[in-house]
Amino acid sequence: MKNYDAIIVGTGAAGGIVACVLAEAGKSVLLLERGPALSFSDVGRDHLRNQRLAIYGHNAGPELIGNPRVFVDPEGRARIVKPHELDYHNNAACVGGGTRVFGAQAWRFHPADFRMASKYGVPEGSSLADWPITYETLEPFYERAEWELGVAGDGRSIQAEIPRMRNYPLPPVPPSPHTVALQHGARQLGWGTAPVPLLINTEPYGGRAACIECKYCVGFACPTDAKTGTQNTVIPRALATGNCELRTSAVAETIETDDRGNVIGVSYFVNSSGTPQRETARSKLVIVSAGAIESARLLLNSRSSFHPGGLGNEHDQVGRNLQGHLYPRAYGLSPTRVFNGIGPGVTVATIRFNHDNPGIIGGGMLADDFIKPPIDFWYDSLPPDLPRWGVANKRFMRDNYTRVMHVRGPVQDIPNPDGRVTIDEAVRDTWGIPVARLSGTTHAATVESAEFMRERGEEWLRASGCERVWSTQPGLILSGRQHQAGTCRMGNEAKTSVTDEWGRVHNHDNLFVVDGSLHVTNGGFNPVLTIMALAFRSAEYIARLI
Amino acid sequence: MNPDTLPAVVDCLIPPDDFPGAYDAGVCDYIEQLLQTDLAEHADFFRAGIDAIDTEALATYNAPFAALTREQQIATLESIESGAVKTSWPIAPARFFVMLVNTTAEGYYSDPQQGANRGRASWVMTGFEEALDS
Repeated sequence: MKNYDAIIVGTGAAGGIVACVLAEAGKSVLLLERGPALSFSDVGRDHLRNQRLAIYGHNAGPELIGNPRVFVDPEGRARIVKPHELDYHNNAACVGGGTRVFGAQAWRFHPADFRMASKYGVPEGSSLADWPITYETLEPFYERAEWELGVAGDGRSIQAEIPRMRNYPLPPVPPSPHTVALQHGARQLGWGTAPVPLLINTEPYGGRAACIECKYCVGFACPTDAKTGTQNTVIPRALATGNCELRTSAVAETIETDDRGNVIGVSYFVNSSGTPQRETARSKLVIVSAGAIESARLLLNSRSSFHPGGLGNEHDQVGRNLQGHLYPRAYGLSPTRVFNGIGPGVTVATIRFNHDNPGIIGGGMLADDFIKPPIDFWYDSLPPDLPRWGVANKRFMRDNYTRVMHVRGPVQDIPNPDGRVTIDEAVRDTWGIPVARLSGTTHAATVESAEFMRERGEEWLRASGCERVWSTQPGLILSGRQHQAGTCRMGNEAKTSVTDEWGRVHNHDNLFVVDGSLHVTNGGFNPVLTIMALAFRSAEYIARLI
Repeated sequence: MNPDTLPAVVDCLIPPDDFPGAYDAGVCDYIEQLLQTDLAEHADFFRAGIDAIDTEALATYNAPFAALTREQQIATLESIESGAVKTSWPIAPARFFVMLVNTTAEGYYSDPQQGANRGRASWVMTGFEEALDS
């Protein structure tokens, strides 16, 4: 049996980066991905079955059949959910993970996001805590992620709030007509704005072409590979070294331990011949990068007499603090056409309300939105008092699709230990592996923040000239979804965290978690760039260990 | 199922004007396809709802839905949407109506590969895409 230096479970934003850093450092790596590599045409352009609007299916895995989860609603009723349902809290299952089909907003977290408990105190019932590292510690790794993968933006526009040593490598996306209106509105209100940083090539970069401004960023794959994921950057680099072996459609079952409880490798299922086969690979070190839900599931499913509750779970912390973002959404009807058909559509943001809001813990970024296909718009964006059918509905779609301005943003989640991932022994996936059971909600304080941000969204649209403004306000729900985080939080205390600041699982020398699971809190921003920065930092550390 | 009913219903939901109505856009084909695939397990529910629309129309106006005036059709659908039906329905009328409205919009506004939105008419109508010069 081949003995690798490292086995990495998952090829998403984190796993791909860890594979690249280790392989380029000369380490032998086995990179496991439960899904396949998806081509542009595999992902397709189905308006009803994509990662943003998944009515009958989705386009980046996992398969709808054979991959259930159990969702427990706030009233305590459990039900089996399929991967394309909202309550599944899916991200993706393919090479590149969520970065294959994401919208690619590439924000750094705000320095205050790393010290939420110190800044605000700990609300009752929450597990709000400071990170064991500061923004300053992570800053060089943000820069590395921005330059090695390629982020477009204007760092100067957010320098006062989120200081940086070096600007982005690529210029921001150009403004659209709605951008100009929103910039004007923000000026009226005395708010600053900034171009939205994106992992999108606004110019050729990294051997890949520039964006052709199509309308299909979020939820779809990019026709020119200008959208930047791990599948078209760090994973090809890892493979080019000859040190990294990528196994797709390889579903991790357990992390293997020896008769003293030490981690020695990973067992996984492959299906190359049509019949499931279980294989075990050995390694000096195992890195779990499967996303906040699946990483927790793998640790919890890795039980032995030494670790009866699963690996890293001596203090019942694995799977807790599941968080993501509530997303208040506001819409405004502009007197003029503001849509020019040029993608990605998201262009301008304000980070004025990420912190220091009266009576609010945290806050969030607000930005315009990606272009919505008309059916997505019909489901998401119509005024609540508009009839859903008939002449009035058609006329609104006809007259106003190009006049509606969209503002939305991720709200800093106030985590609590009851929002969590556990294992449901009674429900198995197609491989016979017990599935993830999701329960709990975010903390009520998050809903208060979301309400505050919804009001700011409406305010922004009114100041931007909209005659008519409406909005939607999220309720008290579990907030994981594509921004899922927090289930193996890092910290200095084994009793209240799962890993140390490097992602090393407490009381283990050679077991790491590196992905959004580590986030102590999830910022008021899209989390992918923070996942990437942490991955670079942990990977450099791990490379020195082996 | 009366073959005239669903075409009349979808054209009431998305009526023709300068741009095609739902029927001409292919929405009935889309729904039929969906009832055999993704919505197969709800097909009986859906077809029972279409039959019940006719029953409702006959009880109220003594004519099948397709033969009603546009005003009568709208009034019939409004009563179904609000659940205030006159006849005894074998299924929940309001829940059926949501499925009916949603699938009609899906066919009309989504990509033509789904079977409707012929000629990308709704995309030109909304401005999502520019009209192609012929």
